[in-house]
Amino acid sequence: MTRLERLVSPWATRTPNHPAIEGDETLTYGELDALANRFARAFIANDIRPGDRIGIHLPRSGRGVAAMLGALRAGAVYVPLDPGSPPVRVQLIARDCGLRHVVISPPLLAGWLAQGVHEPVEHFFLSAEGPAPALPSIARAHQWSEIQGTDGSPVPSPGAGSDDLAYILYTSGSTGVPKGVMLSHRNALAFVDWAAEAIHLSQADRVASVAPFHFDLSVFDIWASLSRGSTVVIVDEATVISGQRMLDRIHAGRISTWYSVPSALLLMLENGCLAERGAPSLRTVFFAGEVFPVKHLVRAMGAIPNARFFNLFGPTETNVCTAYEVVSPPKPGESAIPIGRASCGDVLSILDAEGAPVGDGETGELHVDGPTVMLGYWNGGRRTAARRPYPTGDLVSRRLDGELMYHGRRDHQVKIHGFRIELGEVESALLCHPAVREAIAIASDQKLATVIVPSDGALSVLDVKRWCAARLPRYMVPSDVRLVPDLPRTSSGKIDRVRVRTAVVSGDISLLRSAQTAGT
Amino acid sequence: MDHVNEKIREYIVTTWLSGDARGFDDESDLQESGILDSFSTMALVAFLDETFRVHLGAVDVAATTFKSVTTIARLVREKTAHAA
Repeated sequence: MTRLERLVSPWATRTPNHPAIEGDETLTYGELDALANRFARAFIANDIRPGDRIGIHLPRSGRGVAAMLGALRAGAVYVPLDPGSPPVRVQLIARDCGLRHVVISPPLLAGWLAQGVHEPVEHFFLSAEGPAPALPSIARAHQWSEIQGTDGSPVPSPGAGSDDLAYILYTSGSTGVPKGVMLSHRNALAFVDWAAEAIHLSQADRVASVAPFHFDLSVFDIWASLSRGSTVVIVDEATVISGQRMLDRIHAGRISTWYSVPSALLLMLENGCLAERGAPSLRTVFFAGEVFPVKHLVRAMGAIPNARFFNLFGPTETNVCTAYEVVSPPKPGESAIPIGRASCGDVLSILDAEGAPVGDGETGELHVDGPTVMLGYWNGGRRTAARRPYPTGDLVSRRLDGELMYHGRRDHQVKIHGFRIELGEVESALLCHPAVREAIAIASDQKLATVIVPSDGALSVLDVKRWCAARLPRYMVPSDVRLVPDLPRTSSGKIDRVRVRTAVVSGDISLLRSAQTAGT
Repeated sequence: MDHVNEKIREYIVTTWLSGDARGFDDESDLQESGILDSFSTMALVAFLDETFRVHLGAVDVAATTFKSVTTIARLVREKTAHAA
């Protein structure tokens, strides 16, 4: 198969009644295939042109997947939008990539309209029954019944190649504006086919959907499952926050295949009694997105002894480019597990600052070339092609046995509970506040902290949090906010990030004298 | 009892507001103000368990019960009354 939209139809013919996606609503392969055709026809009837972008803004669901498929079948590109982001940020993305069509749930549409901004969207397709929204005259709302009433027979293939843009995933951008990573059909399928083969994914498998659709982890959940006729089992947003609920879902949903950040597994160990209850249905656990502390990995492997565990690695720009199967639990004294070797047909090089290869054991920047490397960025309304080999910004070294070890980032990008955050985006949001003179964001021990010099003494910590919550996704709202009268400087007059960081990490904020007035 | 509100308020102000109580009261919306996310919610559940000996199940932790100090205190009182 060379294009994502072609994966489903063969299964719709062979096993039309087999469940494709189970969530609040279950869609069989036959139903998913037909619904995707209905969406495609509705898009085409409403002025979709090849290469146009279509926003998908709804909680994870079978209808969301059908809309993605429909977008591709209409020759368009899908852009998953975070249902947990404030409308302001979602609209920033809509403008950035010129979304004229958005599939949206009625409550999320109400959020857009409350903001009063909807440009450049011309067509909203509602994913469920709801009252007719009061839209400004240039935009139209298409009711769910309109989609349901559309012809579901096969649409002619858009007939393009595998290097076409398939979807755009927006990630945190260092300049304060989210940045779109453009991925092709080939990019997705190189990873999907590699992963499905590595674990012999089959029709019998029941694959959890834990990661949000705008995160690259979900590419496996959706497309690997649909490529092998497996069943996607949605673990919804309300479930993902509770270890107990997640484990209940694994048991009740007889989930066999799991892909998440380590934090989710940790939550099940700590709050879901994973060690006692086990998870006998699981046969594969993929994890990625952050370092899995060895002591917790040992516990997780002990609790699920029959599953194979894989550490997958790669920024969104390269999907997954290395993999390591944890064949036996790490031994005491091992401080970290490798990120493994090249996967998905990629070719890796580790280069120093001058671009020369480093020796074994030496640290350099990971560069990736091969089928998973993105087409480029969509940013500020412009497309830029990816550099090849792609410099990931990740510092790694190669062990004598050939396995790669990860040593952090060379820039200000951080991961907190698997969420990728550019500290620059957080700082930029903080600096927009009229009472903030200077702001530094820091990641420490899985927490996001900020140190702020207010220009107005009335600024409170609560004000700062409210401001961020209205502009940034929840995971980018600093949990630790400190107000200080001034920040340490280097001899060149720049803010001394190292000293600010030391003060925050050590918890000894007196190093930065508090600006809060006494008695508050 | 008012000391339930007070203890919860004090914990939130110390843990997530760096001790800065300005503008924060028992009705402040914990979701809208960015104070509670999935991880801070888990920490708060653990705190309530330790401090008030209330064991909250998955169904207790919802946007409506974890909206403000007032709604959390109400939940704690209900739970402790049941246990008594």
